[in-house]
Amino acid sequence: MKKTTTASAVRLKLALGLLVALNWSCNNDKDDPQALPYGSGVLVVNAGNFSDNNGTISFLPPSGSTATYDIFNQVNQRSLTGSLQGYTESDGKGVLLVDNTTAGQDKVEIVDANTFKSLATLKSPEIENPRSAVRVGANKVYVSCWDVSGDYSNGTFYKDPGYIAVVDLTTNTVIKKIPAVKGVESLLLAGTEVFAGSAGGSTKLTVIDATTDQVKTGIEIGANPNPVAVDANGKLWVYSSGELVRINVQSKAIENRLKIGTDKSRSLSKFQLSSDKQYFYFVSSFYGSAAENYKEKGELYRFSVNDTSVPATTPFIKRLFSGLAVEPTSGVIYGGFTPSYKQAGYVFRYQSNGTLIDSVKAEIAPSSFYFK
Amino acid sequence: MRCRDGVFLSLLVGSFSFANGQTSGSDQLLPSVTIRGTTPERFSAGQKTQRIDSVTLEQFRFQTLTDVLSYTTPIAFKVYGAGQLSTASFRGTSANHTAVLWNGININQPTLGQTDFSTMPVAGFDQLAVQYGSSASCVGSDAVGGSILLMSNPRWKQPGFSASVGQQVASFRNLATHVGIRFVSPAGKKWQLAGKSFLYTTHSNNDFPYRERGNYFVERSLTNQKGFIQDLYLRNQKNQQFSVNVWVTDNDLVVTPYDTTVRERTLSQSYRFLTTYETNKLTLRLGWIRDRIDYARGNFNTPSHSETDRLISRIEREFTHTYHSAQLSFRVGGEWSHYRTQVDGYGDKPIQEDRADLYALLRMQFSRWLLSANVRQAFVTRYDPPLTPSLGAEFLILKNANNNLTAKTSAGRSYRVPTLNERYWKGLGNPNIRPENGFNLEAGLSARWFLHEKLTLSAEATAFRNRIDDWSYWNPESGYRVENLQLVVARGLEWSASLHHATNHWQWGLTAGYALTRSSQERVYNAYAQDIIGKQLVYVPKHTGRLSAHLARGKNRVTVQTQASSRRFITFDNSQYLRGYMLTNVLLETQVKLGPVESRIQGQVNNLFDTVYLNVKRNAMPGRNFAIQLICNLNTKKQ
Repeated sequence: MKKTTTASAVRLKLALGLLVALNWSCNNDKDDPQALPYGSGVLVVNAGNFSDNNGTISFLPPSGSTATYDIFNQVNQRSLTGSLQGYTESDGKGVLLVDNTTAGQDKVEIVDANTFKSLATLKSPEIENPRSAVRVGANKVYVSCWDVSGDYSNGTFYKDPGYIAVVDLTTNTVIKKIPAVKGVESLLLAGTEVFAGSAGGSTKLTVIDATTDQVKTGIEIGANPNPVAVDANGKLWVYSSGELVRINVQSKAIENRLKIGTDKSRSLSKFQLSSDKQYFYFVSSFYGSAAENYKEKGELYRFSVNDTSVPATTPFIKRLFSGLAVEPTSGVIYGGFTPSYKQAGYVFRYQSNGTLIDSVKAEIAPSSFYFK
Repeated sequence: MRCRDGVFLSLLVGSFSFANGQTSGSDQLLPSVTIRGTTPERFSAGQKTQRIDSVTLEQFRFQTLTDVLSYTTPIAFKVYGAGQLSTASFRGTSANHTAVLWNGININQPTLGQTDFSTMPVAGFDQLAVQYGSSASCVGSDAVGGSILLMSNPRWKQPGFSASVGQQVASFRNLATHVGIRFVSPAGKKWQLAGKSFLYTTHSNNDFPYRERGNYFVERSLTNQKGFIQDLYLRNQKNQQFSVNVWVTDNDLVVTPYDTTVRERTLSQSYRFLTTYETNKLTLRLGWIRDRIDYARGNFNTPSHSETDRLISRIEREFTHTYHSAQLSFRVGGEWSHYRTQVDGYGDKPIQEDRADLYALLRMQFSRWLLSANVRQAFVTRYDPPLTPSLGAEFLILKNANNNLTAKTSAGRSYRVPTLNERYWKGLGNPNIRPENGFNLEAGLSARWFLHEKLTLSAEATAFRNRIDDWSYWNPESGYRVENLQLVVARGLEWSASLHHATNHWQWGLTAGYALTRSSQERVYNAYAQDIIGKQLVYVPKHTGRLSAHLARGKNRVTVQTQASSRRFITFDNSQYLRGYMLTNVLLETQVKLGPVESRIQGQVNNLFDTVYLNVKRNAMPGRNFAIQLICNLNTKKQ
């Protein structure tokens, strides 16, 4: 009897010992891979599926069509834990905007732009609902933030005011919050001024002096204006409810309002300039019929910055893109495609004349690109 | 990943030390007189049923069904955070494919078609069994992957009065209190009365001393749980029994509680009343269940409301016949339920519908064979579920004084009535959705060896294949509208074993289990479905393993519980996953008797190795934590 007891105790100890070893091995699961150089190529910003908090960045090398996936996780052994809202670079550093489903868990990750090694993490309350980032000067990046969002049905979704976080990349800190409109959205630098759009119902385009970080007099445009680009003629284009508004950057005067298409059931998005800044590409989308299970459909259209009307009846590329960008030197069009938010999307590449070059598998919901 | 190797190694540990399973000492607490209320088990010949033993239930008394089932069964849980939503994936199926029966009545929320296991405390029932595989013919809708059976037990054989008070104090300022009385009048009189009144409360402040673990956020949440149980049984010598069971639960969860703009509250309340009249041959049941859910964000005064009432009636008649050595039982039954649901998402008007079931169950017990043949037809307003037959057989290959070995097999069709949300949710629901059509096949062996008079080894191995066509789901490709596009095939192997040794002073045991679950989507329905064909379903780990060991002397006992799970994919194409992990708990317990008061003291370390593991929101779950519980029983039972 005694013998059995001893044997059992030994066995128990053995089992426990193994458990310890196993758990230890689980906790030390770090096969640090060699940091890859992400010096030049294309970064694909995959937004992820919001509730899964699984946004990622894929890397496409300058040549070849094999992507490297979730490079932040590969280098840092942890995932970004949020929907990825944007990426920009400034002076050798990358800035990633991460939006988590839980308030207080949004963040901005600052990485070494070449190795993607995490350098710092800016968290709540400095960063809440980051939307867009733009480099405004040496080691200085603006990040537009909605601040905490409440209940949409109660009308408290957008906090008033939102703000623009001024990030100093020498210290990796937020040095100032510039109060901004409700739902402050896209940012665009033109000269020494930053133009800030809105998703929260403002009709005014915000203008900020990027040297003093002071808000200047805004420009009254229309519902939810968002800056798009400065074209070959040096004109600023702003999108607001179905029209592109051309603005004189110096005088801030509205020069033209260009109506885009006529079909009210369509929504227009992702305006991008061609590499010669003479053409705009954009996505026009709509929801299919009940028989089609209300599936979202759409195409890519193109028009010249000098056009006087944009009927948007003949698609340039017959595919619905979840992300769109133009490679600044070659003019190659990058279109992100999302089959669903639960499987990897693809990046389709086209010549500037619309001829398909190839497609590369990306990750969940490829929504924007960064060329470096 | 190394963690996956960990899983395999732990299985190795399990196999060379004989590992275990499930059901030590379960049998002694089963009511020996009647087999009432256990219809699914009795008529599901050839299927695996696992009873969770009373010692384990006692150890998990202050925890939830998620906790006890993840350490004792291969059911994988999809957990959203500490104290937050937890849904089951049984044998590679979805959260909608596990039936949860309380005293024989399906208590899944009809709107969601599932149970949030985080709202189900182990204290809420007396007995727990798990039935593996489809048993639609016996159980009805939802029993596709398996069924969880929660039962009350009058404990007729333990006459007397007892009162108990229990208190748990745990890490993160989490507290739980139980108060209850039980009484059973003496046997032998013309009438015998038994009852139980029980009240429980849990306050989980989840006041974590850290905001992050391993660079992953730990989400704050507050959970207040209250519940009340009232059971009353009256029976006479003719074995006529009348019973009333009441279970009221209230679960109040607030996520991000300290930010008044974004805090989210889910208040779930269930009222469950059941009356039963039973004789040896006849069972009549009448029940009423109300499920309410209030969800609010920011302002808690204007929640989105959902309320469903169910009036349930059931009649069953059993015919038995003994023919030579064969025992035949034939049970026919009918069920009718009326549903009335008012959900903000369905529109202004309440939706009402009737559901009825007719079924016939046959069980034939011969000296070595046990056979069952069952059939059920369900009827639902504006809906047409399929006929679901099933067949099962068990054959006792070997039986002698020291060993027995049984072979089992069964085949059965299954179905699932779509949830009310799937049919009625405005915009996203689809009233014309087709019924899912499942076919489950399984076969297994179970054995028990009495190695010598004090050492017992039991083991069971099962292989299954469950094919579910017209699998309906909220399709992310069409803005999460419900469609039944997919064909899912889930197949796997389950193995469990337990070894027990008892001497006059010492007792020890090992139980282990391993499950391989391969569950995949098999139909191409558009160009991009190619990327998801044959891929493992999301949140279904391919490998799960469990190991628990205990050593006891007298009233003192030490138990080590371990669960391991391989990676869980979170995308349909398996491009992303949550890492596998292994968790270990250690429990120390002792019993002290002071006069008429018997006390049980248990100290517990959860997540002993402080493993960082993630929930489905990609937040870290809590690290190592501690709990102490004290249960005092005042007993007047005649021993």
